[in-house]
Amino acid sequence: MSPRATTTTGSFDVREFAATARGSHRAEIDGEAIARAGLAPDAVHLIRVLRDLERGTLDRMRNLLVTATHKDARVTAFLATWAFEKYWVADALDAVLGAVGADTAPLAGPLRRSAAERAERRGPIRRALAGNIAGADIVAGHVATGLVDELITNAAYRRLGEAASVLSSLVATLIAVKDRHVAFLAEEAEHKLAASTRAVRLARKAIAQAAWPIGATEIPAADRSFFEAFVFGDAEGRAAAEAIGARLAALPGLGQAQGSSLVARLVP
Amino acid sequence: MAFDIDKYTTNSAAVGWSDLDFDVFDEHPLPENTLRTLRYMCDIEYHTTCYLRDLLTTPSHNEPEVGAFMTMWNREEFWHGEALAAVLAKHGITVDYDVLKATRLKLGWKDRLDPIKQSIMGGLVGNDFVAVHMSWGAANEWSANAAYLRMAELEGNPVLAELLKRIAKQETRHVAFYASQARDRLKDSKKAQKLTRFALSKFWGPVGSGVQDDAEVTHVMNHLFAGPDGRKLVRDVDSHIAKLPGMEGLTIVEDSLERRGIAA
Repeated sequence: MSPRATTTTGSFDVREFAATARGSHRAEIDGEAIARAGLAPDAVHLIRVLRDLERGTLDRMRNLLVTATHKDARVTAFLATWAFEKYWVADALDAVLGAVGADTAPLAGPLRRSAAERAERRGPIRRALAGNIAGADIVAGHVATGLVDELITNAAYRRLGEAASVLSSLVATLIAVKDRHVAFLAEEAEHKLAASTRAVRLARKAIAQAAWPIGATEIPAADRSFFEAFVFGDAEGRAAAEAIGARLAALPGLGQAQGSSLVARLVP
Repeated sequence: MAFDIDKYTTNSAAVGWSDLDFDVFDEHPLPENTLRTLRYMCDIEYHTTCYLRDLLTTPSHNEPEVGAFMTMWNREEFWHGEALAAVLAKHGITVDYDVLKATRLKLGWKDRLDPIKQSIMGGLVGNDFVAVHMSWGAANEWSANAAYLRMAELEGNPVLAELLKRIAKQETRHVAFYASQARDRLKDSKKAQKLTRFALSKFWGPVGSGVQDDAEVTHVMNHLFAGPDGRKLVRDVDSHIAKLPGMEGLTIVEDSLERRGIAA
């Protein structure tokens, strides 16, 4: 897919998206078939990481809403449905873990603490203060990093489908759910970055500070390393990372520098 | 009684109105003062995001049950906004996302400081602060429920009444969640009780005050709760709040009417 593919499809219909939100996937999950086929330890591990990332949605909501992003009613209308869909994605992953008798507890362990990611670990007070100074232009950074995040998890879900063929139909459904999130965030990022050079500056900063995928700062260090190696560790993974980097670089005002630094962060 | 979160999330749905014939409003349009109140209600529902933000800055959302509720609640309230916007649209009143954005931008510094204030309070007081949020939420949902049912009764339009009853039914479930959370958190902590009592009696105002113009708040309070019948409903809401542990004798909703000079 070309990096700018979504821009040609016209305006994303937030009302239509909200009206056709995907709720529980449990009726379509054949627990017995999954139990019979079994899941490799790596697949279970990846599912647990993805489940925790999807569960972290409310933290992400908070970080967005304490800034001027909460004033953008089109974005908040999207977020209400987005959070709902992600809740049920996490629930579907829990159902899969349950089917094979895997541990469903959240992952626990020491976190990775690098200086480069310090900004990502800020609490709501510092985010709100920084967000107030940045004002409405901060939304561009939020939608641009949100887009990259969705593309990363999409790559992870594709990997999951390859690693566990019994999950291929569920994975296809989850990717379809997430494709609409990608479409909205891509369109918003394009519009907002094209509209303001200050938005571009703030987005560049947000991208430089981000830990990927978003919410990774709360995932134990060992599990993050596993995720990076499993999703982006081989040649195919590297190509996927480069495609995401190219997509980011093609956004208005961004370029090779942002794309390359993203790829460097993703590929172990 | 414990709130069954799995049942709630599984049954959570966008309020429906496609089976309701909104074309009746072409023949029988709603009067101006009703539209003004509906517009207020619609804005408030859309603004749930702003309340969600305040809740998320406290430690409460880390509990899976609370996080699950907030996700569904936020979406249901958004749909209440959409439903009311559809009624307003039949009367040529467009509630567009851009208009909502303008309202929020107008809030200015007070709104910007809120998450900071809330976070500091949440950080200082910790888990007991969650009791304040839950009790506050219960008070809001009880009054919203009363407001919708009252509006349905006052207007007497069967299509509007049916829609408002559907919305109120969902608000009833929100009440159940907030009240059960508030009770659990208040019953074991004198500190939480003191803090909640202080916050509700000092700072609580009708849902939407602080977001909407004062004149609009007063209009809605007058429209829905003026007169003996309205006052009785308000006292019912107060009596629910007063049953929460440590909240005996509180009359915050009636007090807010008194302060606005709404006649009993």
